[in-house]
Amino acid sequence: MSCSPFDLRDYYFKDLAENDRRLTEVHVKTCAHCREELDRLRGTETALLALPDEEIPQRIGFVSDPVFQPSAFRRGWDALWGSAARLGFVSAAMLSAALVVFSLTRPVPPSSAPAPAITQTALQAKIEADFSNRLDDAVAKAVAASEARQSSKTQELLAASDRHHALETQAMMVRVQEYLDVEKKHLNTLILASNDAHSASGEVR
Amino acid sequence: MIFRAVEDADLIRKACRGDVEAYNLLISRWERRVYNYLLRIVANREDALDLSQDVFLKAYQNLRKLDDPARFAPWLYRIAHNEAYSLFRKRRPEGETEELQPETLEGAATLGGNAVFPVELTLAVSSALRKLTADQRETVILKIYQGFKFEEIAEIVAAPVSTVKSRLYTALDLLKTELAPVKTPTKARGVS
Repeated sequence: MSCSPFDLRDYYFKDLAENDRRLTEVHVKTCAHCREELDRLRGTETALLALPDEEIPQRIGFVSDPVFQPSAFRRGWDALWGSAARLGFVSAAMLSAALVVFSLTRPVPPSSAPAPAITQTALQAKIEADFSNRLDDAVAKAVAASEARQSSKTQELLAASDRHHALETQAMMVRVQEYLDVEKKHLNTLILASNDAHSASGEVR
Repeated sequence: MIFRAVEDADLIRKACRGDVEAYNLLISRWERRVYNYLLRIVANREDALDLSQDVFLKAYQNLRKLDDPARFAPWLYRIAHNEAYSLFRKRRPEGETEELQPETLEGAATLGGNAVFPVELTLAVSSALRKLTADQRETVILKIYQGFKFEEIAEIVAAPVSTVKSRLYTALDLLKTELAPVKTPTKARGVS
């Protein structure tokens, strides 16, 4: 009966965890009974190993026979999947081909300047420029609208003035005509009166 | 060890692609170990050789089913285990329910003959191994002679690790008793 903390046979066949092995080793150093047990195990193994290996009487070997050979497809398939390097190379080649096909078939995008690196200062300048542009646009639009309104109003005023002037001219022409008519009538009256007077003086003589 | 494992993995990959020469090289690395494993189980050289050839043929035919080349050794021994037990089943007489035993004992008397180890010790070990059950003997072979880890042995014999340990420790207790009177050489191979 062994007094070892762990099975001495597990210790002998190196089937103990490192810590357990160390504990058993310490125990064996101080326990003559367990040392003796280990010696018996060792002696048994040594005796067993007295039975030597034999040489094989006839070497085993195979000749290449198509019956036992895999098909060409199978060999190719195994060759592809059997080598990580080859598989990697094929994958890389397929990826390259896909990239080439994609680059040849896709539409050419409009050239654009490479996007500048965005920094705080650049961002601020961009915002200011954007704001300034928008402000300028708004002012320009307001001025244009105001000028348009002003021009329209001027046109209206001019038209009104023209109409007023025409009416006044027409009224003045009417008054002048009336005045001329009156004067004409007055003149006629005078002529008639003169004629009457002249004829009366003739009769007197 | 790691370098060797990488080399085996390369050979397995090549063999999967139909490279027979790569598979023959892989066989040359493992045939002796597999043959001795089977020889100690079936105790017959001819059967062990036939089984070894069957094992490597089946391994080649199913090599693509091996997900992790690093697990080649336990996978190969699993095939060898199945082949050996198929042979036992085929040769077991009808109605026999006893535990499987090696068919012949002739191997025991002729194994060894090595100058380093006395013949008496070799015979004693062979005799002691025969007294174990088939499961215990196989566990001892896989652990002591083949140097597998407990988890790998569990995978090969399709049993839990606790069962494997139980079989091994029981077998070692029996062997310890059987081999105690035999004087062993002081210098031998190390622990696997």
